[in-house]
Amino acid sequence: MKFKVTESENVSTVFLDGEIDMDVADNVREVVFPLIDSGKEVHLNLKGVQYMDSSGISVIVESNQRAKEKNTKVELKEVSQPVEKVLAMARKFL
Amino acid sequence: MSTEVGDTTNLSEKKDFLVNSSSLKDVRSFSREVFEKFKINEELREELVLAIAEAAQNIVKHAYKDYPDTQDRMAVRISCTDKELEISFFDKGKPVEKSKVKHRAIDDVKPGGLGTFFIQEIMDSIKFKEGDKPWINNLVLTKKL
Repeated sequence: MKFKVTESENVSTVFLDGEIDMDVADNVREVVFPLIDSGKEVHLNLKGVQYMDSSGISVIVESNQRAKEKNTKVELKEVSQPVEKVLAMARKFL
Repeated sequence: MSTEVGDTTNLSEKKDFLVNSSSLKDVRSFSREVFEKFKINEELREELVLAIAEAAQNIVKHAYKDYPDTQDRMAVRISCTDKELEISFFDKGKPVEKSKVKHRAIDDVKPGGLGTFFIQEIMDSIKFKEGDKPWINNLVLTKKL
């Protein structure tokens, strides 16, 4: 899994690339959580994510919860088709 | 990877992996390779890969919760007839307490709970068995084709 972060005004965009599973979920948290904690709006660009499992969904849920606590928000951008399918299934649970 | 071929409509592939989160990628690669060989359509293939990866993740997270540095191996066997897929997992970890295998409350989303929900959504049946020696646990997932 690779990532790139870009900044513009009050938005940080994290471009994630590859497969997000239990093995790399903590790496994503380490990138995303400090950005949220800084109070900035965070966009997660998922265009390059070919696979995501429950660990990735968990990172998104936790990021949203954390953003609410910090009075900011997290948005998903350019969600890839494989991730959209997993999100659709997860929405039945959430 | 070992192949057991009964006849042209009864195929089986089995492979073992170190019980570790870094093996999950290898479990997915193995599964994709086998489903391609079994000519499972691509849409179903990716759903099945997700179910398999979640079940393997549960072994790492739960059966070996207290043993993160284990050198034990888990095995995955994928068998296919013209009517059904059967996916079996074998591990030597903590015995599964069937009553505790359920997804979590809505406001307590964690990977394990959601993963079990995904498995239930994708597969037709989930059975926990005692594994024949040397295995302790044997999870069997099936899906009608």
